[in-house]
Amino acid sequence: MNAAASGPSPASSSARPPLVDFHDVTVAYGRRPVVWNVDFEIDEPCLFGIIGPNGAGKSTLLKAALGLVPTVGGSVRFGGRPLREVRSRVGYVPQRETVDWDFPVNVMDVVLMGTYARLGWFRRPGARERELARASLDRVGLADLADRQIGRLSGGQQQRVFLARALAQEADIYFLDEPMAGVDMRSQEGIFRVLADLRAAGRLVIVVHHDLRTAAEWFDRVALIDMRLVATGPTAAVLTPENLRRTYAGHIEVLEELGRAVAARGRTS
Amino acid sequence: MTAPVIAYNTFVVAVGVAAVGFAAGVVGSLCVLRKRALVGDAAAHATLVGVACGFLVTGRRDLATLLAAALVSAVAGLGAMVLLRRFTRTRDDAAIAIVIGVSFGLGITLVSGIPAWGYADSAGLEQFLLGHTAALTAADATLLASVACVAAIVVAIGLKEATLVAFDAAFAAASGWPVAVIDYLLVALVAVMVVAGLPAVGAVLVTALVVIPPVAARFWTDRVGTMLLLAGVIGLVAALVGVAVSAMRPGLATGPLVVLAAAAIFGVSFLIAPERGWIARRIRARTLADAWSRGLALDACLRAAGAGDGTFTPVDVEAAVAGDRQGGRRAGAEAFAALVRTAAVAPVAGGRDAWRLTAAGRALAEERRRRLDAWARVIEHDPDDAREALTIDLPAPGAVLGRTGAGS
Repeated sequence: MNAAASGPSPASSSARPPLVDFHDVTVAYGRRPVVWNVDFEIDEPCLFGIIGPNGAGKSTLLKAALGLVPTVGGSVRFGGRPLREVRSRVGYVPQRETVDWDFPVNVMDVVLMGTYARLGWFRRPGARERELARASLDRVGLADLADRQIGRLSGGQQQRVFLARALAQEADIYFLDEPMAGVDMRSQEGIFRVLADLRAAGRLVIVVHHDLRTAAEWFDRVALIDMRLVATGPTAAVLTPENLRRTYAGHIEVLEELGRAVAARGRTS
Repeated sequence: MTAPVIAYNTFVVAVGVAAVGFAAGVVGSLCVLRKRALVGDAAAHATLVGVACGFLVTGRRDLATLLAAALVSAVAGLGAMVLLRRFTRTRDDAAIAIVIGVSFGLGITLVSGIPAWGYADSAGLEQFLLGHTAALTAADATLLASVACVAAIVVAIGLKEATLVAFDAAFAAASGWPVAVIDYLLVALVAVMVVAGLPAVGAVLVTALVVIPPVAARFWTDRVGTMLLLAGVIGLVAALVGVAVSAMRPGLATGPLVVLAAAAIFGVSFLIAPERGWIARRIRARTLADAWSRGLALDACLRAAGAGDGTFTPVDVEAAVAGDRQGGRRAGAEAFAALVRTAAVAPVAGGRDAWRLTAAGRALAEERRRRLDAWARVIEHDPDDAREALTIDLPAPGAVLGRTGAGS
């Protein structure tokens, strides 16, 4: 009912619930916590990066938001509503290594899977779905490879097939889990462009990402995660040396020591 | 009076068992793609308990009763497997091994104990161990065929959902599909097919009918739908061969024959399938290595052509190839012979063992260097789409000559 009136309505905009609300999310594997009381909101459509070191729980946080791992506590709400009410509005790009790329399907088959949820039980994709899938492939620059078996794609191409499948979901909120892993720089740029187009079309794009350099370049807002939330907000305001030190504690200290040692040697010589 | 009746019965049984073979291949394909190949084995070994208990409880030994009981125990075995995994944190493979071992031990004890406990009319239960189609009636075969048809139709209806879950369960779950329910339905279908395969193939071997045809079919196709159909056909053929041979030699149990037939089809597929087959892969690797050697030989000729009097001997070229590839002189000699065959090199007139590059050979050698340069550039700078165009095969000399001629 409210969904229909999604246009700007000044009277209620202040009271409108955030697009995504991570509320005290805690996830544990066994007794070991992986995500600890993470609490933040995303109010506007934007390119949002979830940044942190390996094993920081970034992917787990994303899976918790999608209901793929059980939470110990907390909740994630979308526009004030639980996931099950908005599932068809949420798109997902899993990590590339989670599937068997020797599976006997071609590129078109995989992209069509993005339309399955909307089709529902037992209905097969028709002309409309094929057209949508073709358009999605075109947006990621793979229109020529529609008939290729997925095992004969390079890593970057496989990643873009997953992105095309998510585009075919025609969602409002996209979750991407490490979409740049094992992808060369030029392809990364292509993927980021597609994501920027989604933002321009008013979609919210949430990306688990580990490369700080490209993060600073592309994301509007970020959340720094190291099991707990370190900081969140506009990218430039969050990616400060102090915040990075707190996020990457172990790793960066090593680097700093190395830097100091080099500097000291420079002075003595 | 007997001859035509037996022939008719054999025919009906063959049709029934063929239908079971087809459906087992189809259902098994989904099971293999979902990486649950061993689930069928657990279900199969658990059926024996059901067969024995069905007989003990009802005192009947008609096929429908015994198979219904077998299905109950197969599902119970699978349930035990799920519970083991969930509550004892036993890993998948161990849980399956436990179910197979325990249920089979129990089943064998019951089946072999029944005659000893004085039940008359109990002969024949052990036929469920290895399968024996000679004992089947036309009515039995009709029952089996019906079950098989229903299973195949269920797969046809739910193929979209099953493929989605088998390929990417996390994506399926995230977009709202009840992955666990779809998985349970698939496992239930496998249990049904295992039970339907019992009379023909037996508890010990029926899993082969679920697993081997899909794996064999995968060699021939890259599409799920084709793979399912092909696996069905392979299962059908294997089942028919088993029935036919055991009908001709009544002493032989059907099950092992069916499995051997399926294995033979698998072996042939593995060897001669066009893309994924072993021979095709060996030929591709060999062709590529030969093309690479030819390129090395050509480059050695080009270098020699630029020095001294511009001639070279086959031994020089062979040494250059052998030095690079550690392939011995044979690779070099074959490469040089190929250059001679394609008129890339020609002997210098005058009888000495001296050779020179022809115009076509020079163009080809220069084309190769250009390609390698372009290749190095692409690897350094370009995204993976550009790599699509790369190939280390060399074109035919004539083609290159025509192109360079047109270009200049």
